[in-house]
Amino acid sequence: MAINKQHAIDPDKCTACTICITACPVTAATRKFRGPKMTGPALTRLRKLVSDDDPMLDYCSNCKTCDLVCPSGVPISTLNMIAKNEYYKTHPRKSKADDMLAHSEKMGKLITALPLGSTFANLGMSVGKSFGVMGAMGIAQDAKMPSYASESFISKFKKIKQTPYPRKVVFFSGCYINYNQPEVGTDLVKVYQKNKIEVAIDENFVCCGSPMVSGGYIDDARVNASKNTALLKSWVDRGYDIVTACTSCGLMLKQEYQELFDFEGMAEYAAHMYDSIEYLAKLHDDGQFDTDFANDNTKYIYHAPCHLKVQAIGRPSMELLPMIPGIDIEEADVGCCGISGSYGFKADKHEIAMKVGSKLFNRIKNSHAKLGVCECGTCRLQMENGSGVKAIHPLTVLRQAYGL
Amino acid sequence: MKKSDILIIGNGISGLFAACIAADMGKKVQILSYGAGTLTIGGGIIDVLGYDDQGKFIADPLKGMDGISANHPYAKTGAQTAKKALEAFLKITEEEGYPYLGSPDKNLWLPTAVGNFKPTCLVPRTMDTEALFKADNILVVGFDTMKDFYADMATKNLRERLSKNKNVEEFIVKLNFEYGRDLRDISAMDVARWLETDEGHRSFVDQVKGHVKANTAIVLPPVLGLEPNYKVLDSLKKELSCALIEVSSLPPAVTGTRLNKMLHSCAKKRGVQIIEKARVVGSEIIDGKCQAVITEGFDRQRKFYAEQFILATGGVYGGGIIAKIGAMSEPIFNIDIEVPKVQTDWSYKQLFADKKQIFAQYGVSVDENLTPVAADGSKPASNVKVVGRSLAGYDFCYEKSGNGVALITAYKAAAAFCGEA
Ligand SMILES: Cc1cc2nc3c(=O)[nH]c(=O)nc-3n(C[C@H](O)[C@H](O)[C@H](O)COP(=O)(O)OP(=O)(O)OC[C@H]3O[C@@H](n4cnc5c(N)ncnc54)[C@H](O)[C@@H]3O)c2cc1C
Ligand code: SF4
Ligand code: SF4
Ligand code: SF4
Repeated sequence: MAINKQHAIDPDKCTACTICITACPVTAATRKFRGPKMTGPALTRLRKLVSDDDPMLDYCSNCKTCDLVCPSGVPISTLNMIAKNEYYKTHPRKSKADDMLAHSEKMGKLITALPLGSTFANLGMSVGKSFGVMGAMGIAQDAKMPSYASESFISKFKKIKQTPYPRKVVFFSGCYINYNQPEVGTDLVKVYQKNKIEVAIDENFVCCGSPMVSGGYIDDARVNASKNTALLKSWVDRGYDIVTACTSCGLMLKQEYQELFDFEGMAEYAAHMYDSIEYLAKLHDDGQFDTDFANDNTKYIYHAPCHLKVQAIGRPSMELLPMIPGIDIEEADVGCCGISGSYGFKADKHEIAMKVGSKLFNRIKNSHAKLGVCECGTCRLQMENGSGVKAIHPLTVLRQAYGL
Repeated sequence: MKKSDILIIGNGISGLFAACIAADMGKKVQILSYGAGTLTIGGGIIDVLGYDDQGKFIADPLKGMDGISANHPYAKTGAQTAKKALEAFLKITEEEGYPYLGSPDKNLWLPTAVGNFKPTCLVPRTMDTEALFKADNILVVGFDTMKDFYADMATKNLRERLSKNKNVEEFIVKLNFEYGRDLRDISAMDVARWLETDEGHRSFVDQVKGHVKANTAIVLPPVLGLEPNYKVLDSLKKELSCALIEVSSLPPAVTGTRLNKMLHSCAKKRGVQIIEKARVVGSEIIDGKCQAVITEGFDRQRKFYAEQFILATGGVYGGGIIAKIGAMSEPIFNIDIEVPKVQTDWSYKQLFADKKQIFAQYGVSVDENLTPVAADGSKPASNVKVVGRSLAGYDFCYEKSGNGVALITAYKAAAAFCGEA
């Protein structure tokens, strides 16, 4: 496997301090998982010598909480994902759902291409559940799956009339926003236009590959990475910044590509990548963020997705949203929601995911907030599923406060 | 945030405590940190000063600071500041619902995992060691399948070390967890999680109750819950009508994790902004004043501006100080650290020699205001202060002073930046 020079994958940086074990949410939830230090750096060293047979690997959700706390900069989660990929080259899959969940874009394309496809798919999901079809496919019976939108974001975007501005960004929407929650994408365009930014999209972008990496399909992710890298680099060359509104897409494109692959241009475009709220927070630092807000007297609770936390950008949403007059917003700050992209949908992981998220669910319920706020689509779904409180993207809060 | 009043690098105990103190005094504080601090694997107890240079026990840590060698951090802070700092810490633990016991002018003897005793100063209520000395009956409780705690060894040693009229017995709780090749070993953290559940609580009480005599103190590994509160301790104490004392133990450490959570919660409540995974790689210094520090990640470098800076990056272990052959330096402000040229001089021959290790005392030299001083005597940045494990002049392991130095220097730096002498 090609290794990027600047961010070399090096298990020997581990000092065996055990800090990661204290933080891993899956380790806390089940003894079926050996924990980050063992499956990551320790066994990677061993795997260099002998082929290892470690089914426990499958339990790592790639949430990256271990990476967050490791003082030595060991890319623990990525070591786990590489090992998982290798493992499944010679072992049968545990869950039949792996393939479908890893290639969610394929499913999204299929469904939204059909007339009334989303209606049937969403119906199929609930009918499927009641007949146990989902169970047979390896999907947890009581997991709430994402529903499909009747019109994709890309199709909606084409109908939006924008005012041109010199400040331009290209928006990598990702599958979840494109097929499941296009309104987050249209909210982005509205909020950005209000801040005098012109938004472009690129129909040739493909899924970032995050679910493929987590599912142990790194070779498929490499194909996608190669396509996206060339496109992203060309946008940056034309003077555009890149924004994402899904933290997993953002992390994948700017960090995991560099850890896993070795394509030309990755570091160059990464220098121009921003989370959608981080980009606005930067405008604010430069005194250019529009604060022409209407009152919003809603009580919100904000959950920071794990994949945002490791981006070293702090909590941009907690910098901007409290500026809305009348708003009551607090950070949940109780760690991982458990879903980790598609992990929590799998039949053999669902219970672990719900256990991991239980602290967050209780925190949300006890806060008596009317709405949850979170940048990640599947986290929002998990928050709703676990607490019964609806959750929205921070861009939606901003769009409403602008009265748009 | 474009610019903070005080920017702290590192979120170990010293960085977090400095942040709480400065925020309390009304400052806008930001923490940049790459990885969690040593606290999460340490004992979560506050050693202040247990032994002097000759290895003699110190009964009153504050008194012990008088006449300490001139380059020791305590020589820069003085006993007065030390007392204020530790009292401020005690107050925070009180406010956070996880009050610590002890007093800055008195050392306690705490049992270790193998049944020896070590001096320490402030401890959580789960380590109320005075109850151990008051009890007539000591019951050492182990867990049958848990690693890292050998109840038989602890029992034997406690029997030898405690007065002969104390009755020391051992009891092993059966965990009845699931076992199998596909399940990992059981750690103290697993047992702590179990004791937080009703099922674990019931099972523990049912098994132990019959072995508790009048005036008993239970000695057990650190397993009394993972959250910074005393729910598990208080409910067990009530049902068993006896004291429970956790021993200081090996990483991954339950008690350190609790204190880490408490300090984070305290800092967040005070509006401290923490940016995790932010690796600081350098600084921008103009005319002897630091303007900004620079972080670097997978995307790009970022500058973080502030009026004042506190360096709390720990020692060699977490990358706060870089050791190369025959050279040592602090990488963010580029401070050279004076070391002997021949590396074999760095440590005494026997690793566990009854002497302070020279190597362990290396760190950034500072003046009496904790402002860094380079090997050539120059001061690279006047608005920077250095705290905690990054400092030169002490061997925390030998003298038992780790978290004490961290808290006391952090307090001094924060208070000085807030205009308090
Ligand atoms: C196993 C063990 C057990 C211990 N037990 C005890 C005990 O029971 N009692 C006691 O009093 N003492 C104990 N100690 C000592 C005590 O833990 C330390 O002295 C103390 O924690 C030091 O705290 P600190 O904040 O100075 O540094 P640290 O805890 O090391 O924190 C440094 C922080 O800076 C961050 N950092 C480093 N470089 C950078 C960078 N370039 N950019 C951004 N961030 C950076 C690190 O990631 C970390 O968060 C123990 C130590 C160990 C190793
Ligand atoms: S990525 Fe998450 S689940 Fe996997 S080892 Fe790290 S903390 Fe644990
Ligand atoms: S936190 Fe990092 S250095 Fe410590 S054990 Fe885990 S991987 Fe190793
Ligand atoms: S990480 Fe982003 S692009 Fe990838 S599947 Fe999720 S939403 Fe789609």
